[in-house]
Amino acid sequence: MAPSSNKNITTKAVQRIRIVYGVVIVIVAIFGIRLFYVQVISYNHYRAAALSDQLKQYQIPATRGIIEAHDNGSVLPIVLNQTLYTLYADPVYIKDAQKVADSIVPIIGGNASDYANQMKTKNTRYVILSHKLTQDQANKIAALKFPGLGTQAQDYRTYPQGSLAAQVLGFVDQGGQGQYGLEQALNNDLQGKPGQVKAVTDANGIPLAATKGNVETAPKDGDNIVTTIELPMQAQMEQILQSDYKKTKSQGLSAVIMDPNTGQIKAMANYPSYDPSNYQNVTDPKVFSNAAVTNAIEPGSTMKVLTTAAALDQGVIKPDTSFYDPAHWLVDGFNITDIEQDGGARQQNIASILNLSLNTGATWMLMQMGGGDINTKARNAWYDYMTNHFRLGQVTGVEQGYESAAIVPSPKDNGAGIDLTYANTAFGQAVQVTALQMAGAVSSIVNGGTYYQPHLVDQVIRPDGSTTKIQPKVLKSNVVSPKVSQEMLPLMENVVQQHLTAGFTYLNFSSDYMVGGKTGTAQIAQPGGGYYSDKFNGTYVGFVGTDKPQYVIVVYNMQPGVAGYAGSYGGQPVFADLAHMLIDNSYVTKKAQ
Amino acid sequence: MTYSSSLAMNRSRYQARNQNSVSFKAQTRTLGPITSTISLIVLACLLGLLYLTQVTKTNAYGYQINNLQQTQASLKHQNDDLQVASARLQSLDRAKNSTVAKNMVSVAPSGTVQN
Repeated sequence: MAPSSNKNITTKAVQRIRIVYGVVIVIVAIFGIRLFYVQVISYNHYRAAALSDQLKQYQIPATRGIIEAHDNGSVLPIVLNQTLYTLYADPVYIKDAQKVADSIVPIIGGNASDYANQMKTKNTRYVILSHKLTQDQANKIAALKFPGLGTQAQDYRTYPQGSLAAQVLGFVDQGGQGQYGLEQALNNDLQGKPGQVKAVTDANGIPLAATKGNVETAPKDGDNIVTTIELPMQAQMEQILQSDYKKTKSQGLSAVIMDPNTGQIKAMANYPSYDPSNYQNVTDPKVFSNAAVTNAIEPGSTMKVLTTAAALDQGVIKPDTSFYDPAHWLVDGFNITDIEQDGGARQQNIASILNLSLNTGATWMLMQMGGGDINTKARNAWYDYMTNHFRLGQVTGVEQGYESAAIVPSPKDNGAGIDLTYANTAFGQAVQVTALQMAGAVSSIVNGGTYYQPHLVDQVIRPDGSTTKIQPKVLKSNVVSPKVSQEMLPLMENVVQQHLTAGFTYLNFSSDYMVGGKTGTAQIAQPGGGYYSDKFNGTYVGFVGTDKPQYVIVVYNMQPGVAGYAGSYGGQPVFADLAHMLIDNSYVTKKAQ
Repeated sequence: MTYSSSLAMNRSRYQARNQNSVSFKAQTRTLGPITSTISLIVLACLLGLLYLTQVTKTNAYGYQINNLQQTQASLKHQNDDLQVASARLQSLDRAKNSTVAKNMVSVAPSGTVQN
């Protein structure tokens, strides 16, 4: 071949090669530009799209704190957490409902045909077959490997002591929030703080540890609470209330047993009550409330204990003061008389004001606070004692939901018979007090004059194991002087003795113990004004001790149906049963021999 | 060995007959551009592989951690169940209705008289 043609062939080949190179370079350039566009220009868009699918955020629930109570020196849990399982089925995937039902009945019990019918439900992808299965049952069902059958874990509050102290404890609703009682009042401390995980996950939702920027915050579990409640005392109180509710034909009973020297509430209960593990089945929500702290009523003549203490502390009367009782007082155009005319107008003394429950006597004591008349000075002085000394008209701060502050009328002249109103407050009408407020006030009178805050929490145990012991908190000192406190004890003991002599034989206590008290028969206000003539609440305040009062007991009996004064026949027998319970079970330490 | 003697030794390796060994220079081998490029690519791939193995290993630990956490949760649930069972065994109702309690005789309390 000639050299020029070889040269032509070579040039053409080189040209073709160059064209191929050019095409390859163009293609590579296109890829390169596209890659640059995707990975650099659109980086944020694609990263966001990937993260929206891969980045998962979970909340790690915190464990709710448990609640414990005392049991003769040891501590027992009364509210615990338990993870139980809900069994559900997806009817679309259940091929043989009867076979599945027959297989699960030996594990969870129940009726196979009911389960089979549920699994045949049309137009639904989720039917619940059973609640509150144990982990063991859930594992056995999982081992059956039926498609469409599954279990879902759910945390529940568990009450090993049944309905004991139900209203004091409260319950936790489906949203994990405490309702009523301790669960509500201490919800923030009990629920802790959930943690969170924010991480890129795989297809199963498991976080990939190698990813930069994973966030994991551990949950902070709730605090455990040890209450001041004595379990056996609480159980016996509830038994007594249940029994006396029937005996007195009551419409509701509340009682409090408190240590007057610390403010610790040893037992507090109401009847009727409910089962907190089945709160969703309760039809009357009123039963959720701890009436001892939420129900403020006119306390009736139990108020005379406070009136007497206030008058003694002001020095306007002495324990042995006597006075002429005209058997009625005309105040703001209305006659104040006694429930029962005991012998008409005559000399009376302080002891008989309490023993005979003289409304005229209580009114007279109020007059002494004003120098002989019910006036601004008397009203202001008595108002000061009711609110600043005995702390009525304000919440005690006890760890309970919905505590009522109750009502103390203002002493300011409102032009609507304020003197009459205040005369009524001296014997426990026209003023509202809860059972716990009354317990706090009476405790401060009998313990030497110190108002300790009533409280239910004895210890707080944090997740790290550290423990805080709650010390008694003094809300008011010198409520009354120690001398007045000592003077009040025999006056109240005398009431019990006199009632024993009058025939209430259940008030017979050994001389080894000091037992004092006061009845109250309170009229009930009508909605339109005035009072019912045939409806009364029975109340009782008292103490039990040896050398000094060790327990204060307050009883509120709502409209007892038994014949006789509501205080004497509705409140007093309940007090006596509780006092005997404390003595018979050696809760009250005997006098040293 | 001295520097000059090492040079002499290198030269002697390439000595052959009829060759001008004085002007003979020791041949130094260098990597060409293609070899360098391929080497770089291989090294980059090796680094990439190393990175992948480390990431995979770390993620594998993540799965182990997840399994351990699930085991921990399961044990905690079992512990909770045992606590509940223990508390129920100590409940006042159970004690009151037990055979031991039923065989007990109530004693009239001293110190009080009640109607």
